[in-house]
Order: sequence, then C-alpha cells, then structure tokens
Amino acid sequence: MKSLQLFSGLFTALLCALVFHIEAQSPKAKYGSFALTNATIETVTKGTIKNGTVIISNGKITSVGENVSVPQGVETIDCKGLFIYPGMIDGGTHIGMSEIGSDPRTQDFNEIGELVPQMKALTAVNPNAVAIPITRISGVTTALASPAGGLFPGTAALINLHGYTPDQMFAGFEGVVMNFPHEGRRGFFDRRADDEIKKATETALKKLDEVWERAVQYYQVDSATKGKSAGYYPEMQALLPAVSGNSSLLIEANSAKDIRAALKWIKDKKIKKPVLTGVAEGWRVADEIAKAKIPVVTGGVLELPAHDYDRYDQAYTNAGLLFKAGVKVAIRSNETGNQNYRNLPYHAGFAAAYGMGREEALKAITITPAEIFGVADKLGSIEVGKNATLFICTGDPFETKTQIKQVFIDGWQIPMVSRQTQLYDEFLKREPGVSKK
Amino acid sequence: MKKILSIYIASCCALTGVAQDRGNLLIKNGTVLTVTQGTLTETDVLVKDGKIAQIAKNISAPQGTKIIDAKGLFVMPGIIDPHSHIAIDGINEMTSPVTAEVAEGDVINPLQMSIYRALAGGVTAVHAMHGSANAIGGQCETLKLRYGTFDNDAMKMEGAPRTIKFALGENPTRVHGGGSQIVPRTRMGVEFVIRKSFSDAQKYMNDWDAYNKNKLTKGFHGQPPVYNLRMETLAEILKGNIIIHCHSYRADEIFMLMKVCKDFGIKRLVFQHANEGFKVAPEIASFGAMASVFSDWWAYKFEVYYSTAYNAAILTRNGVITSVNSDDAEMMRHLYHEAGKTQKYGGLSDEEALSLITINPAKQLGIDSRTGSLEKGKDADIAIFKNHPLSIYGVPQYTIVDGIVRFDREHDPADMRLLVDPKQNLDDIIPSEKGIDRCMDGTEFLFGLSSEMNTAEKETQLDKK
Amino acid sequence: MIRFFYRRKPLRMAMLFFFLPGIIFAQTEKSVAPVGRTYAISNATIIQAPGRKIEKGTVIVKDGLITAVSAGATIPPDAVVIKGDSLFVYAGFIDGLSHTGVTKPKEEKDKEKPKDPGNPPADRVGLTPQNDVRDFLNPNDKSVEELRNLGFTVSQVVPYGNFLPGRAAIVLLGGNSPDDMVLVSDAALYSELRGTMGLYPNTVMAVMAKWRELYRNASLSKSYQSLYASNKSASARPANDRVLEAFYPVIDQKLPVLFKSEQVMETQRIFTLKNDLNFQLIIANVKEGWPILNKIKSSGAKTFLSLDLPDEVKKENTKTDQSKKETKTAFDLEREALEKRQKESIGLYTSQAKEFNKAGIVFGFSALSAKTKDISANLRRIIAAGLTEDETLAALTTNPAKLLGLDDRLGTIDNGKIANLVLTDKPYFNEKAKVKYVFVDGTLYETETKAEKKPDAKVVGQGTWNYSAETPDGTVTGKIIIKEEKGSYSGTISNSMNNKTTELKNVSIDKNKLTFSFVYDDNGSSLNVDASLTIDKNSIEGTMTPGGTESFPVKGTRDPKSK
Repeated sequence: MKSLQLFSGLFTALLCALVFHIEAQSPKAKYGSFALTNATIETVTKGTIKNGTVIISNGKITSVGENVSVPQGVETIDCKGLFIYPGMIDGGTHIGMSEIGSDPRTQDFNEIGELVPQMKALTAVNPNAVAIPITRISGVTTALASPAGGLFPGTAALINLHGYTPDQMFAGFEGVVMNFPHEGRRGFFDRRADDEIKKATETALKKLDEVWERAVQYYQVDSATKGKSAGYYPEMQALLPAVSGNSSLLIEANSAKDIRAALKWIKDKKIKKPVLTGVAEGWRVADEIAKAKIPVVTGGVLELPAHDYDRYDQAYTNAGLLFKAGVKVAIRSNETGNQNYRNLPYHAGFAAAYGMGREEALKAITITPAEIFGVADKLGSIEVGKNATLFICTGDPFETKTQIKQVFIDGWQIPMVSRQTQLYDEFLKREPGVSKK
Repeated sequence: MKKILSIYIASCCALTGVAQDRGNLLIKNGTVLTVTQGTLTETDVLVKDGKIAQIAKNISAPQGTKIIDAKGLFVMPGIIDPHSHIAIDGINEMTSPVTAEVAEGDVINPLQMSIYRALAGGVTAVHAMHGSANAIGGQCETLKLRYGTFDNDAMKMEGAPRTIKFALGENPTRVHGGGSQIVPRTRMGVEFVIRKSFSDAQKYMNDWDAYNKNKLTKGFHGQPPVYNLRMETLAEILKGNIIIHCHSYRADEIFMLMKVCKDFGIKRLVFQHANEGFKVAPEIASFGAMASVFSDWWAYKFEVYYSTAYNAAILTRNGVITSVNSDDAEMMRHLYHEAGKTQKYGGLSDEEALSLITINPAKQLGIDSRTGSLEKGKDADIAIFKNHPLSIYGVPQYTIVDGIVRFDREHDPADMRLLVDPKQNLDDIIPSEKGIDRCMDGTEFLFGLSSEMNTAEKETQLDKK
Repeated sequence: MIRFFYRRKPLRMAMLFFFLPGIIFAQTEKSVAPVGRTYAISNATIIQAPGRKIEKGTVIVKDGLITAVSAGATIPPDAVVIKGDSLFVYAGFIDGLSHTGVTKPKEEKDKEKPKDPGNPPADRVGLTPQNDVRDFLNPNDKSVEELRNLGFTVSQVVPYGNFLPGRAAIVLLGGNSPDDMVLVSDAALYSELRGTMGLYPNTVMAVMAKWRELYRNASLSKSYQSLYASNKSASARPANDRVLEAFYPVIDQKLPVLFKSEQVMETQRIFTLKNDLNFQLIIANVKEGWPILNKIKSSGAKTFLSLDLPDEVKKENTKTDQSKKETKTAFDLEREALEKRQKESIGLYTSQAKEFNKAGIVFGFSALSAKTKDISANLRRIIAAGLTEDETLAALTTNPAKLLGLDDRLGTIDNGKIANLVLTDKPYFNEKAKVKYVFVDGTLYETETKAEKKPDAKVVGQGTWNYSAETPDGTVTGKIIIKEEKGSYSGTISNSMNNKTTELKNVSIDKNKLTFSFVYDDNGSSLNVDASLTIDKNSIEGTMTPGGTESFPVKGTRDPKSK
C-alpha cells in the first residue's frame, strides 16, 4: 500500500515535472555571448570564410575569421557543415501593420488622406504579430514597415523582427514614403478616357508640386527660426527630413513613364536623398536611372510583367538588368497580401537565376538595402562591430531545400518557433488519429 | 542543328498552329525525372505522334525526327496546375448559391497571355475552375496549354473527366448571405444548401426515370418533368460521373463535406486549398479524398489565419494524395518552386515534391493514365529545365505539349500576343490575373469599392478577390 | 409662313416641276400625298448589279417597283423625271444587323433589385424572345435617315437588349409608320451572349447554360403540345409559356437564330450552341472572324461582317520624329515595333472582308456598332485592303439579298424588284462621291449632302432647348434657354428634379461647343454643375458634370416653338 502511495506520489511529482517541462518549453529568446564555430561564413562584403568562427557578444559581432579563439564562458554552437549569413532585409512590407488581409480592422498601413506623411509606421507595428516569428525564422531579420495609400501615406520604419516595443525593434531608419502620381489606367475597372487620364496626372503633379513647395518653405522657415516656426503643421514637420536630406525620400514609381517623370521631378526639385521603390518597369529606363545615380528598392520579383506584350520573364530579369546598367539595386518581397515576407530569399533567388547572379542577388537583400537605408554600419554583412543579426543554415538560403537552423537578431538567439511550426508539431502525427482511442 | 530546331519551333509556335497537332521528337541525354519510375541519367525520351514512345539510353532517332539536346538538362513531366482560372472568360456566376449547370468549358479563351506565361513555367495542363462564390459552383475544364491556336475547343484535354467546383466557408456566405441576403449566411447554411441540392437532384432523377418508364407504356399521355440543367448536372455528381473539387479552408467544413458526400454515396472528392486540411488529414485519407493546397499562402482572410506551410507535408505523411496549386497566373509560373518549398517545410523527398505538381494533380483530375509522369504510352507533355526543377536556379528551357514544343526559352520573342488589341493604349498596365484567391473574380461589385479607399487600396482589395 | 430648308422626307412631289440636286423648295403640310409614284431616272450610269452596267440608261420606277431598266426605256408621261446625266444608280444597300429605326428603351436605373438574384423576372434579364421588334419601330428615328443617307435601304433590325431581346424584322428604311417599314416580320430570333450584371444569367457561361435549358424545355413542351392536341381529353392541358413558344419555329427550322457575333471567342461559343442544339444560324456584326475562317465556313452560318473597324492610327507628329531620329533609344525602338504590330493588327480587321471573300464565304455587312459617319470611309478602307469594288458592292446588295432569302425582290436593279435605289454624283466608292437621292420602296428621298453646308455656317446656340439628362438619380428633363446679346451669351436652365430655374454662368459658344455652368440647389445644399454640349443644328448632345463627380449624358432638341 505504502509503495503504492509512494508510487502515486512519484507520479504526481512526475506530472508536476511534466507540466513544468511544458511551461519551460514556451520559447524565449536568449541574450548572451556565443561562438559559432566551424562554419562557412558568407560575409557578403568580405568574401567567404571556410571553417570560420563568429563570436557574438553584447549584441555585436566581436570576431569573425578562421583562426578565432573562443573566449571563456561563451556558449559554443558547432556549425560544422553549416553556413552563416547576415540577416536578410526586406525593403518593403506591411509587417506588423496587417494581420488578416480581408479584415479592415486589422489593417493599419493605410490612413485616410493624400497628404499624411506624419503617419508613423514605427509606433503602429504590432510587435506580437503572428507574421513576425514566421518571417524571422526564415532568416529575414529586418524589414521596412511601410505605409501605403495616397500621395504621402506616411513615414516608413526599418525594424528588427524581434522585440516587444518599437524602441526595441527600431533598426535605425525612418523615411517618408511618396507614391509618385501614376499616369495611365490602373486596371480593368478604370474606364477613363486617355485625355482624362492625362488631365488627372497633370492635376496630381500640380498638387505634388504645391505640397513640395510648401514643404520647402516650411523647411526654410524652420531652419531660419531654428525649429521654432510658428504653428502646428504636422504634415510639413513630417516632410522635413526628406526636404533637408536628413533622411531618404522613398518614391514609389513602377511604370516606365512614371519612373521617367519621377526622375525629372527629383532633378527639378533637387531632392537630396531620393530612393526609387517598386520600379517594376525599371529595365525599360535602366540607363536613365543609372545616370541619375538614384538607388532602387525593386520588387517583388515574383510578379507578372506589366504589359501583355512584355517578355514573360521581365519581372524576374528586372533587378539584374538594373544592376547591369549600373543601378544600385535592393530587392524587396512586397508580399503584402499573404504576409509572406519569408519568401524574400526566393525573390532574390529568382533574380539570381534570371541574370543577376547569386552574389549580387544576395547583396540586394543584405548589404545594399542596409546602405540605402543608411544602416550599413550595423547591418547587412558579417563584420566585426556590426550588430549580431545573422542566421545559421544548411546551405544556400535561396534554395528551398535549405533549413534555417538558428537566427540571431541584435545578439539575441531567437527561438526557432512560429505558429506554423507549432501546428506542424501538433498535427504531423495527430493524437487521437481517426478513431478516438 | 540549332537552326533547324529553331525553324521547327518557329513553325510549331506559329500563330496559326493547328492545335490538334501531335509532334515527334527525340530528347537526348537528359536527366529524366520520371516521377513514378525514378531518375534516369543520360537518358533519351522518344516522342511519336504526341505520345512517349520510349525512354531508354541511346535511342536512335528515326529519320526526320527533331532532336532536343538535353545534355546537362533535367527532363520532367509537364507540370499540372489543379487550380487555375486562366484561359477562361468569366469565373463566377455568383447570382445563385447553386449554379452547377454553368460550365467553364463554354468560355475557354485560348488567347490569354497567361497561357504562354504558364508554359514558360513548365506547365502543360491546367484545371480551369469556376470561382468560389457559390456553395455549388460551375463545372470546370481540364485544359492542355496548346498556345498558338484560336480554336477554343482545341484547348480542352479531350477525354478528361468532368469536374465541378464547390465552395465552403467565407466566400459563399459572404456573397449570398452577406451580399444578397439569402441562404447561406453561415457554414450551417452551406451544408444545408448542398444537402438540399443533392436531395432535389435525387427527386429529379426519380421523376425522369418514372416518366421515361411510363412513356413506354402504350397510350401514355403524361407530361414530361421540366428539364433542369442544374439538376441534370447534380445527378451526374450523384452517379459518380463528375469529380467534386471543393474550395475549402477550415477543418470543420472539410469534415462536413465528407459526411455529406458519404450520405449521398459520393466518392470522388478533392479539397482545394484545404489550408486546415492538415488538421483532419487522417479523416481525409480514410475517406479517400484528396487535397490540393497552396505551398505557403495564408493570412489573406480569417479562415486562413491558422494555416501552416507544413500543410502539404502533413497531408502527404498522413497518406493523402496531395498537390500544390496556384490559383494565380503568376504563381502558376513557378509551381516547381512552390513544390520545392515542401522540402523546407516538412522535408519531402525530391520525388514526393515533384509528385505534388505532376502525378498527384493528374490523379485528382482523373488524367493520371495519360499525364503526370514520364512513362511509355503517356502523352508527351514534358518540361525541360536547366538545373534541377526543385532548385531555385531551375529555369524552364522547353515546354512540350503533345510532343510539340510550345515554349523555347532561347527562341522566345518578347511579344507573344496572338491577337493585338487595335485600341490598346500601350502605356496601360494590363490588368493581370495575379491576385490572391482569384476565386472571387466577378463578385467585386457586390462588395463595392468603397469611395473612402484610395486607388492603391482599391487595387489591394481587388487583388484580394 | 414659308420657310426654306434643305431636306424633307419624303419629298412633296406636288411641288416638283423640275428637279436638281440641292434644290430649295417650299414646305407644305405633311398630309399632302405625292401625286404619283412613277419616276424616271434618265440618262444615268446604271450599275444593275456588280459587274452589270448600263451607260446612259434609264430606270423607271412605278408603284414601288422597278418596271424598266434599259438604255432606251420609254419614259411614261406621268413620270417625274430625274435627269441622271451625271448620276450613278445602284441597287439600295442592305444592312444585316442594326437597331436602325428601333427606339431605345429608357434605362430605369432605380429599379428594385429582385429578392433572389438567381431567379429574377424574365424581362429584367433580357429573356423576352416573344418580343417583336415591330413593336419598337419608329420611322422618324433619326437613325433611319442617317443610314439611308449612306445608301442603305433595308436593314435587318432587332430590339435593344441582351440575351434574348426578341424577334428581328427586315425593314425598309422609309415609310410613315412601323408597318410601312416592315418587309419581312419574324425574320429571326435575336440573341446576344451577354448576361445581366448581378442577375441570373450574369456570365456568358450562364447565358449559354440557360439557352440550352430553354431550348430543351421548348422541345419538350412542343412535343407535349402536339401530344395534347392529338387527344385533349387524355392529358393535362399544357401550360402557356410564350418564352418557350418563341423557340418553336426555331426548333422546326423555320426561323433562324440571329446572333451578334463580334469577337472571335464569341463566335465560337455561338457555334458551340448551334452544334449542341442544331438551329439555323446567322452570325452578324462579325469583327474578328479571320482567325477562324474555316470554322465559320464549315458552320454554314450566314454571315454579316461588321462595318465597324478600329480607328486607324493617328499619324505621329513628324516634327518630333525627325528630331528624335538621331537618338533613338532601345525604348523608342521597342515602342516603334509595338506600334507597328498594332497597325498590322488594325490591318487584319480591315482586310477581314477580303479574307472571307478569298475563302469563298458569301457575306454581307452589318452596321450595328459602326458610327454612321465612318461607314463610307470604312468601306473604302475595306476596298483598299483588297476587296474589289464589285465584291464590296455585292456584299452590300446581292449577297445580303441572297442571305436573307430576298434575292427575288432585292439586291439588283432589275424589272420587278423593289425600287430601292441609290443615286450618287460619282461612283459610290469614290471618296468624293455624294449620295444625292435614295429610293426606298419607290419613294424618293433627297439626302443632305454635307458639302452644301457652308463650312463656317454659324451655329445657332441661342433659343430654347428641351433637354433630358440621365443622372444617377434618374432622368431629369427641362429647358435650357440661351440668349445672345452683342456676342455674349446668358441663359437659364430648368429641371424636373426640383422644378427650379437657375441662371447660367460662363455661357460660351465656341464653334459648335456650348459650355456653361450652373448651381443646382438640392434642398439647401448646392452643387456646381458644368455642362459641355455639342450643337448639331437642332439637337444638342453632351455631358453635365456635377462638381467633382462622374459626368452623365445629356441630350436635347431645339424647342420647335423657339426659332
């Protein structure tokens, strides 16, 4: 009897332990010092290091190389047969700003108004969006959370996909987004006549010029009064960094015509730090973009060509053609509807396969966007002094066979779990199966 | 050789190409991914009269046979997209919750550029489906991508079984319950609409059987029942002559339809999308139903919020015959890549992954005796890749339908339109077929494009059809 | 009270002594009938039929028929003589499909949406095969005169609408009453593969499904009706169903089905239906038939090709072209290639008639969607693309007569045929040719010739205009009164919506463009409306645009009392 009691007591203890164990499974990120050893390191900026080591300490990469000695007290992760890449940067998402596509109550990227640059993406991002772990465990560690909508829909923010507050997530760049007025029909529902379209574009451009003129005036007043300019003009205040050149102006333009018009506008208005985004038909005017020396964030790559008369692979080859013309090109996924920002490496992979080449395509989602967003001192490559934002994987991250084994963001070891992996774990071998026994 | 080849291809792809053409061809020295019978290196595939005549090493070409040098290339069965809305004019007859009588086969449009673009992604056959606005939608059509013809009938895959679209969940409840204020407004209503339709069809069959029987008696003067094409079609489903392809997302609704089908003795059932199919994978397997899924699409509406990209792998591991589909004119161009994602999400083998876009969709459409693998006697629907098709660097080089080269990357003129719109403004962005869940095409006016939305948002909304 | 004018229909013969083109003569009361119906066109070049020509011949028209055609025909003493010294005479043209003379039903926009869109009332979705176009004919509709002025004398006309709008009739483009016009009633069952937005059948596939179902039910009900007729006491009385009954003559192969068949896919879908159901078929207004010539030929369908051709590419400004020559970028070259393809494509549409002819398909033409002002030019484009003038003439006369089964009465200038004639001052296909007179059923019509209009004839905008506007809230009618004082304009507008009259602002007339704006007062909230209208003699047409929203169409006519 006693033994039974003992047994039952043990059983209870076991149960407790089990419950405890389950609780302990709830994954948390871990901050500390790590040595990633025996890895093939794709530094992106400084070539490939075979059998190398990366030391992570205080959120930074403190050592990279072949003959790095591992300091004491550092957790070693043996990466034999594995690869290390810098975290991938998606330069165009609504991550954290949209939860369920068809539910407007979960859409926080599109505010009312044509002129609302003061709408800040950074504070609207939901750090606990389900898409965030799904995205980061695929190696996409950093993303531009971008508003969309009217002429100036807001100010985008580059965020790290780990953290619980905007302060923790902010990755060092904010930029005003501008949708350059589009000339042309927008789809089958657009039944306007040609001259109506032309007129609408002229009106839109006129409006843009007016806005910009006011913004420049505001900047002048603001500079002259050292920031004590009279009145509350939140729109103008928001445009200041773009006018002053303290930050980039992200100009979305996709058709060849619009890109040309945007180039002209940039030149006329002497925009200090312009970035062209979208640029779907950039290949048609690649030389002109290159000549203007304006960097580009293009994508998605997995798109249809703009016109029925275009070659079938034009969207795949666009990034490569821009690069070959001498344009600085970053690639974004633009997978907003599905929140499949995790597919960023595949967008780059297609660009790679269709003319850009692997090396350049890899840059286009690491160091190049880091440079364009002015954060290349922290992100975009495996270099000493940079943030420890990187991932360990089994091979070329462009390949779908490759498994991402471990992600680090700002030195945090990220739990490799998302709702999608949890569902896999639960349902691969469902209990009970067909019969409830 | 190359020159001859290009002339040959030019003549095949010629705008006036006769669609009933069947080609002869010898594909030399490729790595042949048969899908059903392993991988054969340095192997030739001989095509005679549009059929695979032989797969072996060192086949010598009968005189006059055109040759494709596939050395270093990968030869796989033509990809089959089991869920597509290309090559048809009109997707949703959304005016009624049950429209079994309408048929996509009536509105084939062989001129759509999407067809050529799909060929350029190695696709040789598609299941051109009715949309998902109705609990029981219209009949679908299995097409071969014989791009180059103006003949609408020539696109049909002759002899393919009849299929029909069903739809559960948000789409039918939104359109009819939400839009028109008629049943169904809930998943309960969807089940009822389907059950009632089958019951009505049973009665309809009985009425006709009785009439036809009585008609033989002498002096019979009875009135015939009213002919009802909708009931005629439903009766064919009950008789097992039409395969149901059901748009579905949630586990509960998938389970519901299996119960309904069981009650009415219906066995041929394929779940389309089935984002939560993984949750009832054992049940799907034991029913003998199949599933056709997205590789990784989710979050575009509430009923796909609890999705996982591991869906295909879980279904496969549970014994469900599973395919990967596009439902989208862009994604269908890289189904090989979508299939490849199941290696990341669930570690499927090469053969399993390739099966998702070849033999498995062929089984789901009932055309696996003719397509879906490279086997002697099957239709010569073949895709030839540079690099392995499951690699990101895999690029389709040739796509062959019935032994005829319909896509050749090296000889691919930019402008492949068959009919140039004389009124087209060259600057207009041509509305593409790209969009998530295109199933809802033709219903947008029901929901209205709110005037509050700016254009970008309208586009987004339209994309989310 | 004598007023001068250039045209009237029909001409009042009582006033005719001597007749010359462009003669000005006086109006009389409409009720006065012509003194006789005998005419002689003397000394004219008579093209009896393609390839049959009489130089300096005479045509005698009596009581609506051609009674003599020859070089030396005797002119009856009671004949009104038209000296045809410089004139060319052709058989009147036949149009295979249009709405000429058919009143367009007003769209009722605020109709209540049916409770069940899957089962709407038949008339809401164009399911009205029992309708007869004769019920919608109006000989005074301006489309009659417009088409006649081009030389057309007969049209196969159909009601407006989609799906199954009703039965066609072959009508004469003249006469004083609908019955006057009708040459053949119940000529065909008209159908368009076009559904109704938001109601069943909406899509083309549903239209086709419904078509099949109707046809099969019509077959069943027809059989049952005969069964019932054989023994009325043995079975239940069949229900009356005019929709199904409309198909009976089609099933009996007595009535062909006439389809609008413009696009290449549409045509093939019609063939699908025909092959399923096996009815006699006429395809009309064919625009893209050339890619499926063989299919059309083997279908045996009677064919009318559209006279509506895509516009020719406007010539680029050559100046800028030259300056660009030196620095053509890849972009420019690509654009040129695309424009070239587009031009070639237009060529395919234009040479369609030639291709049909080459394939041995007998075809006529249809005017359904063609703008009247473009038809002559389009015929010349068709000829330039390779159809000979004789072949073109055949497609306008003998071929359609044959296709419509009326070659015993129409299509040539021969004794006993209906006196449908076209008289021109130069050979018809000459760019400068003008149609001077048209005979329809023996009645003479003088046509307005545009050159006689003074090119800078002052457009009279002032006066009172009765207008009607199709606003989103329904049809609004009222009067626009324009006054002129020393070259500046002012005016007022009234409307049936709020029954108020408002002052017009910024009234201007530039050439024939009348523009103005006004403030519409709607229960205290006011709305600025801009109007832009084109004046064409006694009619105005254009749009009104309420501040910032979509514009709506406006039409009007000069108030007869105001001039």
